[in-house]
Amino acid sequence: MSAPRSSATRRPRSDGRLAFWLVGPALLVLGVIIGYPVISSIVRSLFGDGIGESPFVGFDNYARALWGFGAPEFWRSVGITYLFAGVTIVLETVIGMLMALVMNQAFRGRGLLRASVLVPWAIPTAVAAVLWKWAFDPAGIINALTGSTIIWTGSEVPSIVAIIIADTWKTSPFIALLILAGLQVVPDEIYEAAKIDGANAWQRFWRVTVPLIRPAIAVAVVFRLLDALRMYDLPQIFTQGANGTATLSILAVQSTLSQLKPGYGGALSTLTFVVIFITAFVFVRLLGFDAVSRAERQRGER
Amino acid sequence: MALTGCSAGGGGEQADGGVGPITFASGKDLTGAMPQLIDTWNAAHPDEKVTFLELSASPDDQRNSFVQDFQAKSGKYDVLWNDVVWTSEFAAHGWLEALDAGDVAGDAVLPAAVASATYDGKIYGAPFMTNAGLLYYRSDLVPTPPTTWDELLADCEIAKQNDMDCYAGQFNQYEGLTVNVAEAINSAGGSFLSEDGTTVTVDSPEARAGLQHLVDMFADGDINPAGITYQEQESANAFLEGKVLFLRNWPYVYTAASAADSVIAGKFDMTTLPGKDGPGVSSLGGINLGVSAFSKHKTTAKAWVTWMQSEEAQRVLVSVMNQASVLKDLYTDPELVKVSPYLPTLQQSELTAVPRPQSPNYNAVSLAIQKNAYAALQGNVSVDEAITKMAADLQQAIAQ
Repeated sequence: MSAPRSSATRRPRSDGRLAFWLVGPALLVLGVIIGYPVISSIVRSLFGDGIGESPFVGFDNYARALWGFGAPEFWRSVGITYLFAGVTIVLETVIGMLMALVMNQAFRGRGLLRASVLVPWAIPTAVAAVLWKWAFDPAGIINALTGSTIIWTGSEVPSIVAIIIADTWKTSPFIALLILAGLQVVPDEIYEAAKIDGANAWQRFWRVTVPLIRPAIAVAVVFRLLDALRMYDLPQIFTQGANGTATLSILAVQSTLSQLKPGYGGALSTLTFVVIFITAFVFVRLLGFDAVSRAERQRGER
Repeated sequence: MALTGCSAGGGGEQADGGVGPITFASGKDLTGAMPQLIDTWNAAHPDEKVTFLELSASPDDQRNSFVQDFQAKSGKYDVLWNDVVWTSEFAAHGWLEALDAGDVAGDAVLPAAVASATYDGKIYGAPFMTNAGLLYYRSDLVPTPPTTWDELLADCEIAKQNDMDCYAGQFNQYEGLTVNVAEAINSAGGSFLSEDGTTVTVDSPEARAGLQHLVDMFADGDINPAGITYQEQESANAFLEGKVLFLRNWPYVYTAASAADSVIAGKFDMTTLPGKDGPGVSSLGGINLGVSAFSKHKTTAKAWVTWMQSEEAQRVLVSVMNQASVLKDLYTDPELVKVSPYLPTLQQSELTAVPRPQSPNYNAVSLAIQKNAYAALQGNVSVDEAITKMAADLQQAIAQ
């Protein structure tokens, strides 16, 4: 653990310069691989599309997406993106919490359980998507086991449900892992003290465990929120964005690559970024925690 | 003459006369026979060797690779495996070299294939392979194949009696849906865009009748509900397993269906697509070999694509690769017909085939068709609403 900030009151100037040179290359690389594409995409979004020279069109591409011809499609994408993010995060947090509580118990075979729970998270999303697509085939294993005849990828609601199931399967272990890390720093003495005070298991969970792992949950949820709002691979492989499952990322890729409209696609990417940024900002502010520093502070207090 | 940078000039301005080794960027070679063709050429032209570069099996990924190469003006790909629907777009951007019509679009070549390589009056690719849809049917159950939709629907009774589905096509929302919807609408006398691609013509009673036919088949259970998820292979599988009476697909299914271990071997046949009041119209598929405008060895590239269209190369295409040639004469060649008995039928289908709407914004056009037709097939919107919205979306697509 690094030294507390308060002790580093005055550093010699040469330290600062050394730090600059140490961080410099990393900043340069970040600038080249992140800064340049982001800025060029924003600049490109101010120019028109089509064949030949691209004229400067100001914010026309944005207007087209927000209230112009592309608006119904854009807002539908915003809606489905939030729906996916909202539902999957709630499911994954609940399931991930349960998994973490089980993994945190001491019993034979715990190592094996912990390893096997992580398998879905270790599988690349695209591969998991293909597996689930086969499972959800009209003649696939899901219909065979449940005896249903649902055409999973053939209409809107079943497609959305299928994608949510696949995403929950895939990502719950991630949340479980972060919550497990939180659980492991809760000392046993606190539980013993609570027991002596007469708290039952339920009370110990709600009054002791949950408040203490709240920072861990918050970090997990913020990570997932940022991730889920960028969802691309699952719907792309399941339906190629058909059946109302075109998320913002799918829409941006379709416009930029498939329809060769880098201007409009750039505008969509920028809007996606703004949407995610605002959501994360509001989320962190409204819920009144600064997830990262709270977690750090708590660790520091121990 | 000094080399002035590596900028791509016309073939004549190139220092070495545009002669030298070239790279052929192709889709995945599912037949495994492409190296054979290329070796034949390389043996005869040691200084103009062709390097075979196999890209993804997915047409969308192939197109992305090509577009990136063009946008970077790299000239890394000298000859490109162009799906017929990309020609207009690539040519309009100035990415393809115009070819001499006398070399690659002569009288020996199927007119529909030539049309698919034409943009703004010029030829932008050597037609290499062509393709048209056929109606596969169970000849053990259907004595005379249907030539109209009414006859097809009447035959659906036979399917019911045998506990089979009546019809399968490609109705997932992807390019294959555009093909199937275009066939239905063209077969009812409708169209999407005017020939020059500048006016939307889909808002017509004929187009509505065409789409209605497909919607009705879904609604009446003549197409299995799972059919909405089918691409080529899923629909072919349903037919190969004996679960469906009629199948619309490309000629390639013949190989699997007639194989010794096929349950329907000897029990099926192929005919041209049925239409609303008479024979139907197929969409045209196929591959044109385009020469990149950024190629450094255009003379060789042009010579090679011309050779790929020669009878020598096209015979390998038909007999080894089992693909449809662009040369008219090969469809009646007794030797080839013996191997592929469907060739005369396929030629019939190709002679009347209509290219999909030709537009430099083809992908936006296709997406407009897919989305709206798909919604109608699902029963989410009426045929009338779907066509009206399709017209509005097409207008947007071609205006860009």
